[in-house]
Amino acid sequence: MLLAALVLSAACSDSESGMEPEEFGELGRGVIILCEGNFNAGNSTLSYYNPETREVENGVFRRANGGARLGDTGQSVSIHDGVAYVAMENSGVIWALDTATFKVKGKLEAGDTEHMINPRYIHFVSDGKAYVTDLYSPYITVFNPKTMQYVGSIPTRQEASGGYASTEEMHRWGNRVFVNCWSYSNKILVVDITKDEVTDEIVLDSWQPKSMVMDRRGKLWVVTDGGYSTGEDAFGDNVPHLYRIDAETLEVEQDQTLDVDEANVQLVVNPDSTWLYLINNDIYRMSITAPHVPVRPFIEAERGADGRRHYLYGIGVNPRNGELYVADAVDYRQSGVVYRYTAEGVLVDKFRVGITPNGFAFQ
Amino acid sequence: MPPPAFAQETQTLEEVQVSAFRRLRDTGVQQVTLDTTVLHRNVALSMSEILTQHSTLFVKTYGRATESTAEFRGTSPSHTQVLWNGMKINSPMLGTVDFSNIPAYFVDKANLLYGASSLTLTGGGLGGAVDMSTLPQFNQGCLLQYIQGVGSFKTYDQYLRFTYGGERWSSSTRAVYSTSANDFKYTNYDKIGRPRERNKSGYFDDVHVMQDLYYNSPQKGRFALMAWYSYSLRGLPFLSVDYKNDTDFRNEHLQNTLRAVSSWDKTFERWSLSVKGGYAYGDMDYDYSTTRSGTQTNITKSQTHSQQGYVQANADWMPRDNWLLTANASACYNHVNSKDRSPFHIGNNYNLGRMEYTMSISAKWRPYKGLSFSTILREECYKRNFVPVIPALFAEYALASRPLKKSGTFRSLFKASVARNYRYPSMDDLYYKPGGNPALRPEKGVTYDGGIECRVQQKAYSVKANLSAFDSYITDWILWTPNAKGYWQPSNLKKVHSYGMELTLTSEVRIKRDWRFSVMGNYAYTPSVNKSDRQTVNDASYGKQLVYVPRHTANFLGTLSWKTWTLQYQWVFYSERFTTTSNEVSYITGRLKPYYMNNVSLEKTFQWRKVHASLKGVVNNILGLEYVTVLSRPMAGRNVEFFLEIRPQWKKSVSPLP
Repeated sequence: MLLAALVLSAACSDSESGMEPEEFGELGRGVIILCEGNFNAGNSTLSYYNPETREVENGVFRRANGGARLGDTGQSVSIHDGVAYVAMENSGVIWALDTATFKVKGKLEAGDTEHMINPRYIHFVSDGKAYVTDLYSPYITVFNPKTMQYVGSIPTRQEASGGYASTEEMHRWGNRVFVNCWSYSNKILVVDITKDEVTDEIVLDSWQPKSMVMDRRGKLWVVTDGGYSTGEDAFGDNVPHLYRIDAETLEVEQDQTLDVDEANVQLVVNPDSTWLYLINNDIYRMSITAPHVPVRPFIEAERGADGRRHYLYGIGVNPRNGELYVADAVDYRQSGVVYRYTAEGVLVDKFRVGITPNGFAFQ
Repeated sequence: MPPPAFAQETQTLEEVQVSAFRRLRDTGVQQVTLDTTVLHRNVALSMSEILTQHSTLFVKTYGRATESTAEFRGTSPSHTQVLWNGMKINSPMLGTVDFSNIPAYFVDKANLLYGASSLTLTGGGLGGAVDMSTLPQFNQGCLLQYIQGVGSFKTYDQYLRFTYGGERWSSSTRAVYSTSANDFKYTNYDKIGRPRERNKSGYFDDVHVMQDLYYNSPQKGRFALMAWYSYSLRGLPFLSVDYKNDTDFRNEHLQNTLRAVSSWDKTFERWSLSVKGGYAYGDMDYDYSTTRSGTQTNITKSQTHSQQGYVQANADWMPRDNWLLTANASACYNHVNSKDRSPFHIGNNYNLGRMEYTMSISAKWRPYKGLSFSTILREECYKRNFVPVIPALFAEYALASRPLKKSGTFRSLFKASVARNYRYPSMDDLYYKPGGNPALRPEKGVTYDGGIECRVQQKAYSVKANLSAFDSYITDWILWTPNAKGYWQPSNLKKVHSYGMELTLTSEVRIKRDWRFSVMGNYAYTPSVNKSDRQTVNDASYGKQLVYVPRHTANFLGTLSWKTWTLQYQWVFYSERFTTTSNEVSYITGRLKPYYMNNVSLEKTFQWRKVHASLKGVVNNILGLEYVTVLSRPMAGRNVEFFLEIRPQWKKSVSPLP
């Protein structure tokens, strides 16, 4: 019995067998989908979807890189100059991947920088300069995306002891980059890219600005999640707001409240930046000249037998044809589902990807 | 350390025999008893390792001195009720117990009560209950025991115990100090190039001190006082996919716990009384901070203080030899102050108290020799919420009891039970901000058990086998899920059907005069399946095995003794575990491969006139397997630890400490 147990144990070791890097061939103009995974599980993945053939390749990072994992809590993916940059929040690393092969071209580790802790989003100021926002650090990290070398840091001047240090999405207008501070904050920071410093800030009435877009007229649209309210000591009122802010004057021009519920709120724009798409339980489409969000949703989230809506967790717009990609996290612990719609909201395809899909990048 | 091992194992089986066949109190109860032979096998072991190696419970852990929770029969850790000397020690915040924080050397006896059997002690054990206790050492004289352990990864274990056992008084003082850098090397398959890395931030520094005192008077009954203090400082290991420098971060738990129980027991001719009172204090700090930006930034700085007061009274009455009636009442007050002092969190989580009451009555009846029945009715209340009455019915029938050749005996017994059970929400479930859900309902369980126990006793060998089957349904299972705002919320989401069987086998053989051999094995087959309504059409979790619950668990301990030498081989197996609710295996991270562990130890005892001593060497993971038990949490490869035990002998010493 002892011998049998030993032999069985030796035969079934849990050590990973070698995994040869996989070649994906000609990938075409596809969609890279970042799947966040579960916090502290290290099971974030990348999927690739070919809109022409409707084929999906899941776990492409691991397959292309000999079994290595993408990391823990992938927050954002963006493509610049043929390279996909993936910010892995809880791993403290930014990957630079060849979009044709998914092989790693470079990486920026937290330890390579002075202040980076949990990277969230990347904004490319130029070919040689990119900003990285951070969930915990009171600095915006600056690095060279061509060399993946650390360049410097921009202090956000948000006192960590005051509860404001988080920085999130970034959008540019002229020489200004607007940065929303989501976690326990109500501020939009203004960074002057010629000086690499925070020069101004906008304070909102609603808590936790979650997502932003810039329209073609230089209006910054900001959606907040309103914080949370579950009783005493509530932080915020749980009521999301949609703001329109003039990028030149920094004035709030429009403010409207949205559905409360437990909505994830997220904003994207169509390719010519004339329509907003908003996740707020369902998906709403709104002209940038409209005075308010339409009452009826553009696309209704599917509902279960008990009336529960799908957890729409991410949205992206293909800049080539305006097609929408909407991510459903299901229960956050199984493979998520991506819906592909035409610009007019007609369902084209639906496919399974990794756990908790949250972001899209288009080749 | 268990020298001389075989003699004590014989004692163990005698105890099981008595409880299984003779005690009306245990009618129909499915339980496994672990005594000092198992519990005091190795001073470096916590109850986490003991349950992993000697029971069919599934223990979820990712290494020594990391949070370890135990699950019966595919339920959740909060469905395991845990008692220490009669006082429930489940965290009032989480409802769970971290078994890595309970040194096995501090427990003299542990009963594992499966399913409905847990209702003989407490409600809420939808999976079962672990009942741990210390025992007095009357008439043992003065005993001193010191163990020094030195192991891989700068691991040091120290254990000191002094015991006095007179005719009426018994006192035992125990202390354990364990410390380790725990920075084992491993091949990181999750990073490009598969570098050799060290386990970062896995250090620990644990101190436990326990005092128990007993006074036994034929007239006044038995008085007991047990107190246990523990200090634990533990780093939380980094993930294998973490690229940050551990020197830039502090990621650690600091925990202080004090538990004290006093009791009085008195047995009369036809009835017995018992009164208990207990107090527990706990503070737990979790600190995740960085000095990266020149000044210290607290990312998470949570602080939790809890206090618990507890009283219980129990009365047994035997109006006739075949009847036993029991009444029990207890009250417990929990107060929790939970807060987060990091700049990223505003406001307290909660600062509240809660009263909990329990009352139960039971009747045991043996209408014929060999046939007995038992019923329990239990009522529980938390704050002003009454859970429905919890009923349980047990039956037991002696199938055979006959002598064998050469003074041997054969006995077999059939047991069955059915029960409804409820577990009310923990305080975090109800009140934690953000996320707590005051509208949560108690979880409901219905469970059916049946099993056969057989025992063969011969002069040269003994065999005991227990086979049981169970079928269990839990509804309104409380599940925390992330919401769109980034925090987690509990709700009564799940229905779970778990079923299966358990097999336990123990055997001892005297091969020759100086040679003895014993084996102890456990196996469980535990499908635990999600039967909840699909949340949406995309939900593929219906009918799938629960996350991180293995369908098969098995373990085996073989002990071979020759004179003063003892060789032990330990084998533990868990089948694959899924990490997604849909049990997908297309992802490499979708499942954890089957887990096999092999440990070997060799011990030599010395018995000189003035001192008894032993030397022991343990090799854990002797095959050097590379494995994980939780995603992205690498485990240690082959590692060793050596122990030296010294027991001075005084005139009054009657027998060595167990």
